[in-house]
Amino acid sequence: MADPMSCEEATDLLALEAVGALEPADRELVERHLATCAPCTHAAAEYADLASLLPAALDLVPPPARLRRQLMAQVYAEATAPSRPSWWRRLVAAIPAGRPFTAIGAVAVVAAIVVGIYAVAGRNATSTSVTYTVSGTTATGTLSVDTTARQAVLTVKGLSALPSSEVYEVWLIPPQGAPKGAAFLSPGLGGGPWTAVMGGSMAGYTSIAATVEPAGGSPTPSNTEVLSGQLTVS
Amino acid sequence: MHLSDDDIVRSISAHSPEGIEALYDRYGGLAHTVALRILSDRGAAEDVVQESFLAVWRRGSTFQPGRGSLRSWICTIVRNRAIDRLRGDRHRTRLDSPIEGESIEPTVSDPWAAVAVELSAEEVRKALAELPAEQRQTIELAYYGGFSQSEIATKMEVPLGTVKGRVRIALDKLRASLADRMETSWPTQ
Repeated sequence: MADPMSCEEATDLLALEAVGALEPADRELVERHLATCAPCTHAAAEYADLASLLPAALDLVPPPARLRRQLMAQVYAEATAPSRPSWWRRLVAAIPAGRPFTAIGAVAVVAAIVVGIYAVAGRNATSTSVTYTVSGTTATGTLSVDTTARQAVLTVKGLSALPSSEVYEVWLIPPQGAPKGAAFLSPGLGGGPWTAVMGGSMAGYTSIAATVEPAGGSPTPSNTEVLSGQLTVS
Repeated sequence: MHLSDDDIVRSISAHSPEGIEALYDRYGGLAHTVALRILSDRGAAEDVVQESFLAVWRRGSTFQPGRGSLRSWICTIVRNRAIDRLRGDRHRTRLDSPIEGESIEPTVSDPWAAVAVELSAEEVRKALAELPAEQRQTIELAYYGGFSQSEIATKMEVPLGTVKGRVRIALDKLRASLADRMETSWPTQ
């Protein structure tokens, strides 16, 4: 279909689009024009970038540290979740609905289950886990890193209970640059060890520490270290 | 290790959690500031930021290098979600990139992405303050209020064409003013 719009007309609409004021009906016309006009595509990018400078005039309000934690916990949970239905769900789904469960079918199911168990066992056999020790004045613990699942669990004994206004925040520390807030330690039931689960790779970090921070966490660690450990194999 | 915006885009496209982490670390503060400015509610702003980054994670990058910087892309995603929430208009279909279409990707050097890094908030404020009040108000009603061209025309009691003209002139002036400031801060290249 012919493009009825001139570049001059399109430019007006591109400015409107950049600030979010373009009417839906006009958007279609602009899209049609952009499909064949490289200079206006360039202009669209420039207007979009200019509009994105508007917030630069605002005083930056950093989000609370817990928001990053929540987001990344969700992302890592989804990243490590199986992307396909589990083997037994696929097996169940493969059984025709409403068909009598015959002896042959039952044998096939059992056989598939055995194969499945071997497959799962085989996968676990390739998992690699490394354990590091951590300690503080009163605390001792371990950090178990599963490099295959890209997940780490910190388990700590000997920490005191905290008031609700404070948390134990776990930091991963690179050789250079700022420590990264990675998780909060949760108390175990009935006085059991404190634990924190972290997703992602530990590569690039040389040590780990935990500090006492206000509830919600801090952008940078305070000077209240309760434990630390080296992420190097001795 | 410093990742460039291109590295971050590649990482997101590869569905790497580290890509989202890097995107958040670089633009999470900006995203939160935009959402909070639009919604004036900390809880709602945090929800919008989280939803926006999760949407990027789940859908992968729809970022098109020729259509603006990574900064403007994430700003648009967050802004659109915040505006939808502000207006309670959940049925409204919005596009994450400013304009989706056939992918034409001319070489764009993203000059304004670099400007965003170099210019201080004060300099951008000054550039905005230099705009005539009605132009500034028009782009703020659109960008932070989520009003369309016709809604702004009604609100400001001006013809549709006036709104269109004000927005374009305002952005053109802003570009010229910021370019001047960049030249002042970088006298020689």
